[in-house]
Amino acid sequence: MTQELTVGVGAGELATADMVLNIGPQHPSTHGVLRLRIVLDGERIRHAEPIVGYMHRGAEKLFEVRDYRQIIVLANRHDWLSAFANELGVVLAVERMTGIQAPERAVWARTLLAELNRVLNHLMFLGSYPLELGAITPVFYAFREREVLQAVMEEISGGRMHYMFNRVGGLKEDLPAGWLGRTAEAVAVVRRRMADLEGLLVGNEIFRARTAGVGVLSAELVHGYGVSGPIARASGVDFDLRRDEPYLAYAELFAPGGPGRVVTRSAGDALARFECLLEQVHVSLDLADACVDRIAALPRGPINVRLPKVLKAPEGATYAWTENPLGINGYYLVSRGEKTPWRLKLRSASFNNVQVLAEILPGNLVADMVSILGSMFFVVGDVDK
Amino acid sequence: MGLPGRGLAGGLATTFRTMTRRSITQQYPDVSPDLPPRTRGVIALLEENCTVCMLCARECPDWCIYIDSHKETLPATTEGGRERTRNVLDRFAIDFSLCMYCGICIEACPFDALFWSPEFEYAELDIRELVHERDRLALWMDTVPPPPPLDPGAEEAKEIAAARKAVAAPAPTGDRHGEGAAR
Repeated sequence: MTQELTVGVGAGELATADMVLNIGPQHPSTHGVLRLRIVLDGERIRHAEPIVGYMHRGAEKLFEVRDYRQIIVLANRHDWLSAFANELGVVLAVERMTGIQAPERAVWARTLLAELNRVLNHLMFLGSYPLELGAITPVFYAFREREVLQAVMEEISGGRMHYMFNRVGGLKEDLPAGWLGRTAEAVAVVRRRMADLEGLLVGNEIFRARTAGVGVLSAELVHGYGVSGPIARASGVDFDLRRDEPYLAYAELFAPGGPGRVVTRSAGDALARFECLLEQVHVSLDLADACVDRIAALPRGPINVRLPKVLKAPEGATYAWTENPLGINGYYLVSRGEKTPWRLKLRSASFNNVQVLAEILPGNLVADMVSILGSMFFVVGDVDK
Repeated sequence: MGLPGRGLAGGLATTFRTMTRRSITQQYPDVSPDLPPRTRGVIALLEENCTVCMLCARECPDWCIYIDSHKETLPATTEGGRERTRNVLDRFAIDFSLCMYCGICIEACPFDALFWSPEFEYAELDIRELVHERDRLALWMDTVPPPPPLDPGAEEAKEIAAARKAVAAPAPTGDRHGEGAAR
């Protein structure tokens, strides 16, 4: 390619040379410490390379020296916006290996909490993405809604972010009395107030101008890079594990006539990704309602199973993947019969979703970079693990 | 698309509607938040229940519980009886600068010596002050709320089920209390 030059102070005379620009690791639009190395030709991006790893905490290695209860603590932290969904992958893998069956009550409660967690996650991005584009107001609405849901999450689990509520074989504790009613109320409140958030953004000319047709991601790239979740579905890739390989109670929820449906768009631009997220919130709220009704109708029963004092997964391997709010989250668990896993490989959605930036950023203007970056909906902890 | 600027006007209408409603801001330092009983704020220690079994310190994922103890010999209570040794707690400290607030120690404790309290106002200017020694941990006990009642669909709480069983079938004579500790 052309010559590259890192421009510092006093190197202004080579105006025609390409400029290497570092976005981050400290930058407001990088949600933490993602670094992008961008080669610019004037205002246009010629080449982009996401440089990850600034927040690497060696989660997979730490898993190897923790028992299965301790792993849940660590596993809910890499993607701090979908803690419940992350815990779920671990316990599903261990349950499959050990043959432990979670009681029906736990299955439905887990589904409900996973969907509430999805709404919490999406609301965060529905607020922060416009913020990055210069719209400051929506984030306050998004956080008002988040607070309503976080109140019920805190009431049941005791945590606002790191719920630590899953256990192998079920949930830690049963629901507090009256919690189901308050959850149904919270879901109704959020559904009603979503109109506010939509009123601010949907149809807003400035927001449309910044996002429509920007950062188009083709279905081929989605497949090539293993992009998943709402971003992939915005490019017309109709794939959702909740429907296509159901776990928990999703088989029933996504059955014909059920409240579950997979939201897709075909445009593949930033606007389509945002719309996907927005519509998924509505679907998740419907799913949450269905779960609340179902739990209320269930007969009296336990929410977890009694575990042996020392929980060991038998020798073997399994791969459990779940549809996390941001995409496919997979845990490849290899056990040699010890009480700790021999290896627990973590496949996180954000890692793949960020890699594709190298393909879709080139050719765009610097001003659109934030718009594209923000629309990839990633969590840096989930990238770096 | 319709009239140019319609989207912007719609957004402003939302803002205006919100402006006419009451604010949801909580006046935090003046009004303390209403936290549910399960909130994981700080860990309280009920020293009388601790038998220095070290389970909490061992199960802690980041080893932030420090326990020191020594053995004490009790003279025989009856003539010709055996001397007994018991563990005496010298130090029990939790380093809250390392704690991940997972609650495994509380779950692991077989003697109900550790409890969650929703208290959260213990920020310090010096990180070393976040190591709460046993006297400070004991003070948190006053703030531990009773657990919330469970959903009608839930299985009976362990304690209630055990008590019901005990009433239905009176325990056989003899002291059974020592058994749990010996296990």
